Amino acid sequence: MTSSVVDPRELARCRRQIFLSLFIALAVALNTLEFMLPSPAPWFRLGFANILTLVALYLFGGRAAWTVALARILVGALLLGRLFSPGFFLSLGGGVLATALMTGARRLAGERLGPIGASLLGAAGHATGQLLVAWLLLVRHAGLWTLYPPLLLFALGAGLLNGIAADVLIGTLRRHPAFARGATGQVGGEVSPSGK
Amino acid sequence: MALKALWRRMTPLDRMLLCGLLGVALLLCVLVFRLPGGSRLVVERDGRIIYRAPLDRDRRMRLAGPLGETLAVIEHGTVRVLASPCRHKVCIGMGRISRSGEWLACVPNHLLLRIEGGRSPAEDGYDLISR
Repeated sequence: MTSSVVDPRELARCRRQIFLSLFIALAVALNTLEFMLPSPAPWFRLGFANILTLVALYLFGGRAAWTVALARILVGALLLGRLFSPGFFLSLGGGVLATALMTGARRLAGERLGPIGASLLGAAGHATGQLLVAWLLLVRHAGLWTLYPPLLLFALGAGLLNGIAADVLIGTLRRHPAFARGATGQVGGEVSPSGK
Repeated sequence: MALKALWRRMTPLDRMLLCGLLGVALLLCVLVFRLPGGSRLVVERDGRIIYRAPLDRDRRMRLAGPLGETLAVIEHGTVRVLASPCRHKVCIGMGRISRSGEWLACVPNHLLLRIEGGRSPAEDGYDLISR
């Protein structure tokens, strides 16, 4: 109500916290919804929750993307009752490698990398991370890697869809005053959110 | 057109990533599809071999595990799981296998079905050393 007297930095910090919690809540909801869909194998997942990680990456920067990704994996696993189960470690391995690739590429390439490209990298990272964890924890058998090509192809298709969704969402959100230039309170070193 | 709109949404780097990653995935798919067909099925339970069968004759197998019997079939040189007492039925969802090195696993029922033999050069080398 009296936002005019509030310190703008404090306002930005508050906004960032609220939006990140909303993103995490949405990501957990999508994660749970996706878990209820039929799937041919546990590693063939569409990864809708990654849309929110991408939105956080493009609107608030790499640190926010890590927050959303890790919180989503933890809270999502708690909600589905599979914390510390094999499925949890698969999802954690995939999520960590995907987020590392997305934030790393974004830091290196800056504005040259759009949400769709980041989503594709994330999808490939997720597929690779999952299989690596499965290989390390579950089956120490080289035959596991015959699953990799179809999994990667499937992940890229899903990543393309998620990337388009994230691109649309980011475009819509940037038009909102809360995400205008400077309002997201990014600190130095991160890429500026509005590229135009 | 939808495809054109999609193309316009992407930055040049995005396009390169899309083409590059798709290319790698397709190449890997081709490589896997060109793996030689296997010659026999081996079933392991907790690392011990409990069943062996050649792939060229059709048959049904009842494989005992801790949860109960898993029903698998060999038909036209491919193997698949028909029924399993486990909860998630992942092993049924994994489909058919026929090439050397491919496998189906039912983790809750402690079963691993894998295919051996064929003309895999790695395996030949292994045999040469071990025999």
